[in-house]
Amino acid sequence: MNIFFRELRANFKSLIIWCVIIVMFVAVGFAKFSAYEGNPELLAVLDGVPPAMLAAFNLNAFNLTTITGFYGVMFTYFALILSIAAVMWGSDIITKEERDKTVEFALTLPVRRSQVITGKLFAVLVNCIVLLLFTAAAVLLNALQYQRDNQFYQFVAISMLALFLLQMVFLAIGIFLGCAMKSYKRASSVALAILLGTYFISIVAGLHKNLDFLKYLSPFKYFDAAALLHDSSISSVYLVLTVVIVAACLVGAYMTYGRRDLYI
Amino acid sequence: MNVIEVNKLTKYYGKAKGIDGVSFAVDEGEIFGFIGPNGAGKSTTIRLFLSLIYPTSGEAKIFGKDCIKYGPEIRRDIGYLPSEVFYYEGMKVIDLLNYSASFYDKDCSRRIAELADIMELDLKRKINDLSYGNKKKVGIVQGLLHQPKLIVLDEPTSGLDPLIQRKFFDLIRDENARGATVFFSSHILGEVQKMCNRVAIIKDGGIINIQDIKTLQKDNYKRIVVEGADLDEGRFNLDGVTNLERENGAIRFYYKGDINKLMRLISESEVSDVTIEEPTLEEIFMHYYE
Repeated sequence: MNIFFRELRANFKSLIIWCVIIVMFVAVGFAKFSAYEGNPELLAVLDGVPPAMLAAFNLNAFNLTTITGFYGVMFTYFALILSIAAVMWGSDIITKEERDKTVEFALTLPVRRSQVITGKLFAVLVNCIVLLLFTAAAVLLNALQYQRDNQFYQFVAISMLALFLLQMVFLAIGIFLGCAMKSYKRASSVALAILLGTYFISIVAGLHKNLDFLKYLSPFKYFDAAALLHDSSISSVYLVLTVVIVAACLVGAYMTYGRRDLYI
Repeated sequence: MNVIEVNKLTKYYGKAKGIDGVSFAVDEGEIFGFIGPNGAGKSTTIRLFLSLIYPTSGEAKIFGKDCIKYGPEIRRDIGYLPSEVFYYEGMKVIDLLNYSASFYDKDCSRRIAELADIMELDLKRKINDLSYGNKKKVGIVQGLLHQPKLIVLDEPTSGLDPLIQRKFFDLIRDENARGATVFFSSHILGEVQKMCNRVAIIKDGGIINIQDIKTLQKDNYKRIVVEGADLDEGRFNLDGVTNLERENGAIRFYYKGDINKLMRLISESEVSDVTIEEPTLEEIFMHYYE
């Protein structure tokens, strides 16, 4: 418990910064929407854009002139921002002890290494949830000025669930890399590389039918905004994949960190 | 009872040797010196005790229990002062000490206040604002606040001024009198000689010698320089003199044996200057242990 609370306090500043980023991002996004709302000219412009380009920016599935459609486009960016926060927090909270050379203090206390991971894991989990709540609150508050319907609220609800699962996937990947990688310097850059790599895959997977199989390789594709909007549910295959990835990463984290030398 | 028991302990970092085949035992209530030049494997051995790293082969037991299997349990009764202390920068000294104390099942607040008082440590300051020496004091308080049964010190005096060093040594002697066993690693022969009952000498990852401190002192080499106008270096070729050489009218040599014999010899000669020094540890290793 003491590790958990200390980490919460230590990460408080970083949490605030990310919350400010996401709230500002939402506010700016929704302010832009005021120009799109019920604007038929925008649709004409989008018709002139090549389809591959639209797919890359996730613009083809949505009607940008409605709040629901606009939110669907913004979802992709929320997904990116929240995942980056999760993966960075996850790897950093483990590796910082080696980076700041505090291992010789923190891990010579009478604690098991697994207890250390658990305390830290829950601290970042709380951070992820707080950041998600700020995101949801910012979206709902900013949407108040526009025409909303039931579909919008349903879509926000399911997409927030999707964002949470996405956070969990990247949090687990971050924690795993932080625990498993011997070089603490490389852990966070590898974590970011995986994140951007899978994001890129998610774009490529939408470009051509033959590349469709790639969707299993990218968590971003598991929680595709268009699918969330049209089906209002998350496919069970992806749910299972999410659980498997999270579980594998966490088991891997506990196993590798318990057995490896800590560097000072 | 042996508080520390090390059996053929070996640690390689990849191909680089940390230590190889180290064996020794430390008795309960002892102040055991662990001395060797930098890079000899002192810190590696200590980190193996604390299961920060895992041995390649061999084993270390503390309180009769395997260091790896029972790591957290053993560490409840170990106080560790690393050679360089690093703490969470944003925290206040008192918050850090309370955090450390929260891992032990006893109330340490009184002991923290006592120790801080002895070491003249301001508890209200932030860790980042502390000088190197003051951080070391935090380390001392943190290592001793739970009244450990085994105190592990890794180069404890670096960064401490002489006054605080003396207080620190008194503190360690008090803890020892209370029943704590002390494992004292250092590369400074003098401080180990002052504190310890027995001493193990480590070089290049292996134990060269384990000795009673009294024997070590008897065996001790002195480095001697005698200067004078017409000195005959042949006169100084006593038993126990090594590396005798003449340089610009000065005669230098190492001497091991009865110091009175040498003093008499010097007093018979017409000398302009005499220096008798402790050789450095490196010199002892070079001239004695090879």
